[in-house]
Amino acid sequence: MPHIVRSTILDAPTGAVWNVLRDFNGFDRWHPAAAASSIERAQPADKIGCVRRFTLKDGSELREQLLGLSDLEQTFSYCLLDTPMPIFNYVAHVRLLPVTDGDRTFWHWESRFTTRPEDQKDISEMISQQIFQAGFDAIRRYLKEAA
Amino acid sequence: MARIYVSTVVNARNDRVWARVRDFNGMPNWHPAIAESRIEGGEPSDKIGCIRDFRLRNGDRIREKLLGLSDYDMFCTYSLLESPMGVENYVATLRLTPVTDGDHTFLEWTAEFDCAPEREAELINNIGSGVFQGGFDALKRAFGG
Repeated sequence: MPHIVRSTILDAPTGAVWNVLRDFNGFDRWHPAAAASSIERAQPADKIGCVRRFTLKDGSELREQLLGLSDLEQTFSYCLLDTPMPIFNYVAHVRLLPVTDGDRTFWHWESRFTTRPEDQKDISEMISQQIFQAGFDAIRRYLKEAA
Repeated sequence: MARIYVSTVVNARNDRVWARVRDFNGMPNWHPAIAESRIEGGEPSDKIGCIRDFRLRNGDRIREKLLGLSDYDMFCTYSLLESPMGVENYVATLRLTPVTDGDHTFLEWTAEFDCAPEREAELINNIGSGVFQGGFDALKRAFGG
């Protein structure tokens, strides 16, 4: 089972980063892959079990469900329900930890999934670079513009 | 119960940082506050349960027991057996996590202990800012940031 782990350091306190990340319906405001986002059945975005529907830049849609969210630990987990790509059993975890030396943020983002053996390399690369690393770079820009 | 959390980022891959800190008997090699260290009973320093007996530059003597060590998860957990600090039930963990974006290392050093309430703030400052951050600063100097 592929296991993707990416992490970065952001030059902002965890509270500021968490304010942006904890909104399960807010990825379209900062992530370059997401064009539009809505929560199904008009549920609150921090209701555990809620489902977000993404439209990606290429017009395809995917649905993800919030599995857990903690304001105390500054973590959340979600799984993929529907996607146009052959990705199965996808579960991802986001975790923020304070860098007390300089009031910065350590951001850890990981996921596990299954796929067809012939797609494993390309999909791992896509998630690692276009979702996780691109998300890190986008948040860095987003926080700089907000400041 | 008092709790300390200190964390930093060192500008080197986690395997290089781990090679420097994993030796339970190696604190004098990298921590400026530690003068000398030995493992009791001639045991290997990565044997779980071994005890290090070390002396600080200020003359204080401390004995600590290795509770857990993992080369896979890159952490080291130990308890305090004897010290002049006046703390009880002291357990600390040093943990390294890779920062994939740029080949850095995220280090966390945590401790939990009991002490007299009026001494808690002073102890948290001495251990957190002195011992833990002092060690981190030395590692950052050693690895150039």
